[in-house]
Amino acid sequence: MLIPPAQMLRRLTAVTSILAALLLLVTAARAQQGPQRIVSLVPSITEMLFAIDAGSRVVGVSSYDHFPPEVDNLPRVGALMDPDVERILSLRPDLVITYGSQTDLRTQLDRAGIPVFQDRHGSIGHITDTMKELGARLGVSTQAARAVAAFERDLAAIRGRVKRRPRPRTLLVIGREPQSLRAISVSGGYGFLHDLLDLAGGDNVFASVTRESLLVSTEEILAKAPDVILELHYSEPPAPQLIERERQAWKPLSAVPAVRNGKVILLFGGELVVPGPRATKTARAFARALHPEAVPR
Amino acid sequence: MPDVRRRLVLWTLAFGTLAFLAVIGAPLVGTTRIDFARVFDRSVRFADNVDAQIFFIARLPRALAAALVGATLAAAGVVLQALLRNPLATPFTLGVSAGAALGAMLAISLRLHLSLWGVSAITGASFVGSLVAVAIVYALARARHQGFSTNVLLLAGVTLNSFFSALILFVQYLADPSEALRTMRWLMGDLDVAGYAPILAALPLAAIAGAAFVWLPRSLNLLSLDADAAATRGVNVVRVQQVAFFSASVATGAAVSLGGPIGFIGIIVPHLVRLMVGADHRVVLPASALVGAAFLVVCDVLARTVMAPQELPVGIITALVGGPFFLWLLVRQK
Amino acid sequence: MLRADNVTYVHRAARAPVAGSRRGAGLSGSADFRPLPGVQQVSVSIDRGGSVALLGPNGSGKTTLLRLLAGLIKPQSGRVTLDGLDVAAIGRRELARRLAVVPQETHLAFDFTVLEVALMGRHPHLGAFELEGPRDLAIAREALDATGTAHLGDRVFATLSGGEKQRVVIASALAQQAGVLLLDEPTASLDLGYQLEIGALVSRLNLERGLTVVVATHDLNFAASLCRALVLIRDGHVQAAGPTEDTLTADRIRALYGVTAEVHFHQAAGHLTVVPLGKATHA
Repeated sequence: MLIPPAQMLRRLTAVTSILAALLLLVTAARAQQGPQRIVSLVPSITEMLFAIDAGSRVVGVSSYDHFPPEVDNLPRVGALMDPDVERILSLRPDLVITYGSQTDLRTQLDRAGIPVFQDRHGSIGHITDTMKELGARLGVSTQAARAVAAFERDLAAIRGRVKRRPRPRTLLVIGREPQSLRAISVSGGYGFLHDLLDLAGGDNVFASVTRESLLVSTEEILAKAPDVILELHYSEPPAPQLIERERQAWKPLSAVPAVRNGKVILLFGGELVVPGPRATKTARAFARALHPEAVPR
Repeated sequence: MPDVRRRLVLWTLAFGTLAFLAVIGAPLVGTTRIDFARVFDRSVRFADNVDAQIFFIARLPRALAAALVGATLAAAGVVLQALLRNPLATPFTLGVSAGAALGAMLAISLRLHLSLWGVSAITGASFVGSLVAVAIVYALARARHQGFSTNVLLLAGVTLNSFFSALILFVQYLADPSEALRTMRWLMGDLDVAGYAPILAALPLAAIAGAAFVWLPRSLNLLSLDADAAATRGVNVVRVQQVAFFSASVATGAAVSLGGPIGFIGIIVPHLVRLMVGADHRVVLPASALVGAAFLVVCDVLARTVMAPQELPVGIITALVGGPFFLWLLVRQK
Repeated sequence: MLRADNVTYVHRAARAPVAGSRRGAGLSGSADFRPLPGVQQVSVSIDRGGSVALLGPNGSGKTTLLRLLAGLIKPQSGRVTLDGLDVAAIGRRELARRLAVVPQETHLAFDFTVLEVALMGRHPHLGAFELEGPRDLAIAREALDATGTAHLGDRVFATLSGGEKQRVVIASALAQQAGVLLLDEPTASLDLGYQLEIGALVSRLNLERGLTVVVATHDLNFAASLCRALVLIRDGHVQAAGPTEDTLTADRIRALYGVTAEVHFHQAAGHLTVVPLGKATHA
């Protein structure tokens, strides 16, 4: 049966329109989902991406990414000092996460027409803000909101547990020359570590200095007389005798209440230095160290 | 009046008093008010006595370390300037401090966590690094010349400096961000030793160098003429050069291992001292050591009080003082 | 009493650019260079109280010979003796008490005073940790007196004129109380006035104090005015040696410098003088 030409033309137009509409719909839908191939140079943001259900989109990570375990299979593209632009480009990303200071890298990526997301780190608020922002950009706002809510809930729970307890004066040590009291660097009154300490029911003795980290002398430590010393180490814990040896390094400052009362606590873990979703783990560790009765294992 | 004996006594007394007052005064000064009666109160257990611990653990070791490092670097500066016949030479010119820095960098980056007799791995590695640099420079200086050419020495030292500095940057580049911060910190100088062990460890080395520094001065005077003129006046030029090189290098290595590469002392102090006491090394050397001690003690007090409760690295203070001083010298020369 | 017996010294890797060729080390093209002769089998003998000039053109080996006599370098064959003792065997300090050297130029690295420079000459007489005593001071001052520089005692050496500096250096050498004074091109960097000054001074020291004086120079007239004996050196070999009046002849000058000259005894000057007339047209 022959179809008259006019009718054929009408059918053809209809089919084409439907196909075009479908294509547009699909494209729009995809555009709403945002970038699909993400390279992240910032470990904290890598963790956030996994937390907001966008982990499958990560195609490249930095040399210092260790969490979650999935990143071990991903190609490495360098880090803060040595980003490998060629490697990054070879992964054909449609979004690259960089540090705020990596201006050269950003210029090169701009030239290649690749969108960039800059890490801004600072307080706990920055962590949740970044997760929400990424959620919006990647089209996973619901998952991001869920992750943020869980994060804030966990932190609130910790805050609640230690609420009515007396807050010990705490020295938060973020670095020190091993087995000596030289080059002691501590957290000042700014930054996510300070915020976590505050939340975990401790008073940072150096809160008056609004810096994320500062070098302090032994005199200042003696003068501030903290009740507790929390010392952070960013690797897995070594043998117990080595931990004890490091703790003994504080012995000469026996007039410091924390040292005298045996309240020098060493914390180990890679997550301690990552301002990301695992900060809740850090907060719990701080709280347990400061208020062991209130925070069970 | 070239009555050397009289001038030596005069200036040593004057600067010795200065250095003594600095060392005694430094632990009395600080942003934390301490009760001196309590510091020396025997009835309170030392382990509980905050004031005493601030005085004897936080402040006094720093003052002593500063005095030792300041004296050693200033004296080494004088000797090296005489050896190289150049008032612009510094203890760091021949690559010793670069070797020490590389040793420290490696210890920090490789996370060597040992300590021996209260001396940390970083201090030890730093000293070993300085010795390696000395050995290389000396071998290079000997290779070209049967005797000992100070020109080749200078060339070897400058080359080694550049090479080691490049290696240091390389190590920093590869290091973890947290280690990188610690290496940068070390390079800026730190005298907060919080104990006497590191000072005691450096003392024998300083003493050995010091013994040479007592023997050298008159020969250094003659070396200022030139090598031949010194030789024809009875100086064993090669031996004097070797002793000068090794003693100054060992002294520098010990100082840098203790407090990091603190710059400007080795050049400001000898210059200043020569302006005051003349050129005779028999007076310049001890005077520089004493002035260097006082100078660094004062700089360290500033480092721990200017931005309290933060620590400013002492190398920054010496640089801030040294830079303008140099400009002034330059302007004065014209 | 100061003798060199058949000494040979060749500089290691010694190359000197031929006049007019490109200067600078590291340039290849050996056609531009010829080896520095050093000295080859040279023998000289200098009597006590004598005044001798080692005379020759640049690169003739006279400075090398002077340094051999001073014990600054050791001959590869032959030996140098002072009062019968091998110079290489005498200790450095002992040698410095017998023999002093005045270099061509003196550049001090630091601002020593004139008196301090003079006192440096006392080093061979002082123990390792000994400080100069009144006697040393007196000797140094007397040396400055002898060279007419006593009034400059507290001045900084570096601020002096060329002639003053040279006189102070000579004073420093005198303070060594040595019997022999060796001078390397003492007038090369001085103006005429200072040249005469130094010449007169050295002559006086020789005649009045009996100081044995050996001068390495290329200046014919200076040698003639000062020295009673000459050693003519060219290309590392001694061409002639003997009393000035016998040795300084037109023929010898032509052989030494390739220059035609006339040699006269000048009445007013009181010594032989040389008047160069022009380059020799034949060898």
